[in-house]
Amino acid sequence: MAALRSTSSRLFAAASRSSAGPSMFVRSMASVGEATVNADPKSSSSARNKTFQIYRWNPELPNEKPKMQAYTLDLNKTGPMVLDALVRIKNEVDPTLTFRRSCREGICGSCAMNINGQNTLACLCRIPTDTNELKIYPLPHTYVVKDLVPDLTHFYKQYKSIKPYLQRDTPAPDGREYRQSKADRKKLDGLYECILCACCSTSCPSYWWNSEEYLGPAILLQSYRWIIDSRDERTEARKAALDNSMSLYRCHTILNCTRTCPKGLNPGLAIGEIKKEMAF
Amino acid sequence: MASALRPMLLRQTALSAATRRAATVPASAFPSRVTPFQSTIVKNAGRIAAFHASSRRSLLPPGPQVIKGTVNDAVPVPDPVPTHGSYHWTFERVIAAGLIPLTVAPFAAGSLNPVLDATLCALLLVHSHSGFQSIIIDYVPKRKYPGAYKISLWLLNIATVLAGVGLYEFETNDVGVTEAVKRVWNA
Repeated sequence: MAALRSTSSRLFAAASRSSAGPSMFVRSMASVGEATVNADPKSSSSARNKTFQIYRWNPELPNEKPKMQAYTLDLNKTGPMVLDALVRIKNEVDPTLTFRRSCREGICGSCAMNINGQNTLACLCRIPTDTNELKIYPLPHTYVVKDLVPDLTHFYKQYKSIKPYLQRDTPAPDGREYRQSKADRKKLDGLYECILCACCSTSCPSYWWNSEEYLGPAILLQSYRWIIDSRDERTEARKAALDNSMSLYRCHTILNCTRTCPKGLNPGLAIGEIKKEMAF
Repeated sequence: MASALRPMLLRQTALSAATRRAATVPASAFPSRVTPFQSTIVKNAGRIAAFHASSRRSLLPPGPQVIKGTVNDAVPVPDPVPTHGSYHWTFERVIAAGLIPLTVAPFAAGSLNPVLDATLCALLLVHSHSGFQSIIIDYVPKRKYPGAYKISLWLLNIATVLAGVGLYEFETNDVGVTEAVKRVWNA
């Protein structure tokens, strides 16, 4: 019910609150310090306990601020990857923990999240064996649907805008399939492997500020994949779609994308190649 | 957008179901009637931001991302403007590349050529102008702050002209940039 209060009353309430306390920052980080949940309370002396600090936010309780919740697991009873730990927490400790996962082997891109400050796939990220806390957040600068689930609607809409499919008018010479030389096929290596997990785009400061107009590294990598495809006949139209101040040229070669890519691809290089292709 | 609305709709259905259960009159007697409580919810639904856990402030517009259209619409593709796109980028790179030899040449040659000095000044001016322009486009986005965007760009234009006039004065009435750097370096 509290969520149905009018905007103005909420404004006043917020204003009075902010004048009273030190809560200057409206979009502050999640508050730390929840009761730790221990999955293995009767752990032996050989137990290797690891604490996972996980971002929690429930849309059904819109008045509660996001918080960090700590879970302690014995690594001897947990699989090696962060996703294994998350699945174990969900199975055995707290079924309300929400995250996306599907293939558990780094090919679907569902479990992209921010682990210890780095965007990566939980299923490809080993749990560090040290005793420090492991912090897990959803992808940065995304709207959170729940807990570790980001809203990627806009990301997919942008992907759709680059027309990620083969466009041609002339039929294949043999009437069967569009053939390509080995050299032309080789150009697609390092591009076609992208699984669109959004790790790179959400790590890009330029995308943080201008995600509405700037396409971001993941989409530009895909765009380049279709621009250099020898079978595609809409290369010029694809380039023209990027030829404005926002779509492509908000890339300032920060290279967070290349650094973070869990598949080891190089979106920064792909964007550089597009810029070079369009330069002269 | 649909994903953003889903939990809100869920909550509404849950609420309306609860009110219907609480009512003494059987629901089938007034199948299409909406209770005033429900109607206020429906009226307010558009204004309630389901995902804003923190309160809304009118200081800045909310959030960085506004999703237009349905989930299945692609983001609109802007019209090609090469003067702000590829030409602009090429121009920037040419100037940046040209600055390297121009910066090194007077010191390497050990002689001062006023024409070379003037070219260096002009390119430096254009280079820093386009750099600041980029900062404004990034951080004062036109779509969000069209007024501030225009003002910032004009302030930058004025600053560039002032700096140009200053550099002209310095070049014609004083020692010039290269000589000044040399003196500061040796001082």
